[in-house]
Amino acid sequence: MISLKSIRNRFSPLLLGACLSCAGPHVAPTTAQEAKPLVGTSKVNQFTFPNGLKLLVVEDHSSPTFAYQTWFRVGSRDEILGKTGLAHLFEHMMFKATTQHPEGEFDRLLEAAGAEGENAFTSRDYTAYVQELPKDKLELIASLEADRMVHLALTETAFKTELEVVQNERRYRTENNPDGTMYQDLFGLAFKTHPYHWPVIGYQEDLNKMALGDAISFYRTYYSPNHATVVVVGDVSPTHVRDVISKFYGQLVATNTPSHAIPAEAAQTAARGEKTKLNIQIDKLLMGYHVPPISSSDMPAIDVFEEILSGGKSSRLYRALVDKGIASGVDTDDIDDKDPTLFIINANLQKGKHAALAQAVIANEIQKLKKELVGDEELQRAKNKITFDFYESLSNNSAKAHFLGKYESLTGDFENGVLEQQHVQSVNAAEVMAVAKKYFPTENRTVVSASPKGRKHK
Amino acid sequence: MKKLMIKTMVLKALTLAAFALAVSPMLARPLQAVEVSFEEDKRLPLVYVNLAVKAGAVTDPEGESGITNFVGEMLLRGTRDKTKKEIDLELDQMGARLEVETREEALILRGAVLSSQLEPFLKLVLEIVTEPSFPEKEIGKLRKEIVSGLLEELGDDSSLEARHFSKFLFRDHPYGNPVLGKIGTIERLDRAKVLAQYENIFHEKNFLIVGEGDAAEKTIQAWGDSIGKLRPSGDRKAAAVVGTPENAPERRLEIVDKPDRTQTQIDVGQIGVRMTDPDYFALYVGNHAFGGGSFSARLMTEIRVKRGWSYGAYSYFRPGLKPRSWIAHLFPAAKDAPAALAETLHLIEQLKKDGITSPEFEFAQRSLVNSAGFMYNTPQKRVANTLLERTTDLPSGFMESYASRISALNREQVNAALKRFLHPEKLAMSVLGTASQLKEALTKASGVKAPDVVVVPYTEE
Repeated sequence: MISLKSIRNRFSPLLLGACLSCAGPHVAPTTAQEAKPLVGTSKVNQFTFPNGLKLLVVEDHSSPTFAYQTWFRVGSRDEILGKTGLAHLFEHMMFKATTQHPEGEFDRLLEAAGAEGENAFTSRDYTAYVQELPKDKLELIASLEADRMVHLALTETAFKTELEVVQNERRYRTENNPDGTMYQDLFGLAFKTHPYHWPVIGYQEDLNKMALGDAISFYRTYYSPNHATVVVVGDVSPTHVRDVISKFYGQLVATNTPSHAIPAEAAQTAARGEKTKLNIQIDKLLMGYHVPPISSSDMPAIDVFEEILSGGKSSRLYRALVDKGIASGVDTDDIDDKDPTLFIINANLQKGKHAALAQAVIANEIQKLKKELVGDEELQRAKNKITFDFYESLSNNSAKAHFLGKYESLTGDFENGVLEQQHVQSVNAAEVMAVAKKYFPTENRTVVSASPKGRKHK
Repeated sequence: MKKLMIKTMVLKALTLAAFALAVSPMLARPLQAVEVSFEEDKRLPLVYVNLAVKAGAVTDPEGESGITNFVGEMLLRGTRDKTKKEIDLELDQMGARLEVETREEALILRGAVLSSQLEPFLKLVLEIVTEPSFPEKEIGKLRKEIVSGLLEELGDDSSLEARHFSKFLFRDHPYGNPVLGKIGTIERLDRAKVLAQYENIFHEKNFLIVGEGDAAEKTIQAWGDSIGKLRPSGDRKAAAVVGTPENAPERRLEIVDKPDRTQTQIDVGQIGVRMTDPDYFALYVGNHAFGGGSFSARLMTEIRVKRGWSYGAYSYFRPGLKPRSWIAHLFPAAKDAPAALAETLHLIEQLKKDGITSPEFEFAQRSLVNSAGFMYNTPQKRVANTLLERTTDLPSGFMESYASRISALNREQVNAALKRFLHPEKLAMSVLGTASQLKEALTKASGVKAPDVVVVPYTEE
């Protein structure tokens, strides 16, 4: 077994940032806004540092631990065709060697310190690095995260090995996964120009061509304090966190944000669809409608619309599909994108039933919502469920940090997430009907259906 | 994601004085025959209530695999006074959730509700549990839904492989039966069988209530008592029907043949140990060093970090009333599957022969002790711990005893336990992949004689 240190020496890693110590002198933050309410007695303390780094802190002393998350405002929407999958691949590379720490040491130091849930994830719009730690480990994680934000040192060998891992992840999530294949097809059909066209994990042919230089360029462009928000929730003091963050991140230099024009998607003018055959035993259906981004003022009404359609076993789609013996399950995906995206309905059919039938039933239920106002009881039922889900989404330190990081990254202000929940309570039946008419015409729809190989389509 | 979230429960538990929690203590006391454990937490206006019946899938009668889960689902589909539609409406109106989770040793009704709606919610659940009607029409509908769900699972390689491996490892033991049942057994279920299983396991002494949230413990206790009084006292079923599983006498290989796979799913394992086994904590540390989910673990280092063969590579114990399983899991590309299987077998053999090194032991011990607080740092985790302890007959507080137990271990004890426990010559191996491409190479890698390799179509139950 080759030691990590010898790997580092043998392959002379490229140094991607200045070899500055992270533990520089204290730099006072430029702004510290008044704490804002989140839920219950929880309040969010906000700080912005001179180098552009944002910090959100929530105190919760119910256990001697804290969640620490770093959210970068970069995802697959920032890629270009031919380099798809780069944001996600780079997420993997962030666990490699830095100028301060050889490969593997980041994980070893955190694991030895008792870290929990150390992980990372990439979406279309953001990339996040998450972990929980015992309360006395704040300086450790801040020093490590600040270090890898700018001091990553990549080798050709590490890059190639991790590329192979990512290709295996792609086999797992897409190639050998019917749902993954269908989602790739759905977004590929629904978006023609916008980067949501391609999957977050990228196309295989692009991954095959990816080079170390691509990763280095991506890192230099997007990994800097002015592209990030650090979120800390747990047994901490906001001023202490501010000082620790300042100590370790204060010396990092902001980089220019590239003038990267994201092409807008033209309005869809005709229904689109694809029928495919997969190694499955029952039919599957995905329907997507173009809807506005998460920051839209229509989002509260769309939330209620979604809940009426698919929230619980009294929802309209469950009744019309599962109770009627057509599908074994039906659901909708939460809208979680910065740019105009898709409202997605997915259904697994029952044995012997065809996707076309489910598609017709779903279209009919949507049609009803365009023509008939929702009753008060049904409206209140939807709001109650949304309220329940909101509270549940804030039920522990990690969940709170995720909520804050997501809304901060997608909308620029976590408060938009809280306001969206508040606005849901005032949505009326006419507004639900209005969003049904506005966003759910047939021509705005894209459908991907799959049936078992060896059976003719119907 | 950088790391695959391991869906299967990988037990991780420790306690340290430093993690003494600033929350109200878990209250657990047997009262009459129904045990209630509820932790008050008023930070959010939510209440979580789990009603467990300590008799899970292992109590499925022979030929009726899946019936316990079926009974649980049927509870939500009609009572003496309410139809399924009315139940669904009431729950959604309250902003509540009520779901069924079936384990080998327990059937759990998992409830969650806004605290403002707790009273009507508890009343409804009481009616669901004590006055189910099991309507014929709903039995027919549920049968079709479950069968369709099982057919859908055939498209999910990791889930399908886990199901096949369990059957292959445990052979005729009830632990090898799928909790959700098989298409054949589900299609044969009828109302008489469903009713009989309900009467068989829904006994006062089988009940356990565990929860947390914005409610008074005495409210939940009173509710538990009222449920208990409405059911026969009965006896504990699960422990009586489960025998101790044993390894097969020789190493075995099964290939679950599915066409067009560019990736395989590999499970390698053997019968595990009870968590109360004297060797358990030593094995727990040994497993952590070998494949416990850490990026520093041997399996992950050799399979993913060094070679990039698989996105995930880890090993874990599954808990049970009886020894369950110890499993190493990886999912390499088809082209790398034979080499990855051979390397995994080599690593297991090496682990038995040489044990773990001093640095590995020290790192595992330190990591496990320092992460102690995360075993129980939220009310939800404490509820999960209590459910596991009570349904698998662990001593009270077991899940918080890890740190002291692990701290007291030395490397020699760990390696001696590994030597006693591991049986490379009896390992069960299951690979989901395309047999025509892989059989010869996998056979060679496994060390199993070609005529003994079992190939089963992925659609076979």
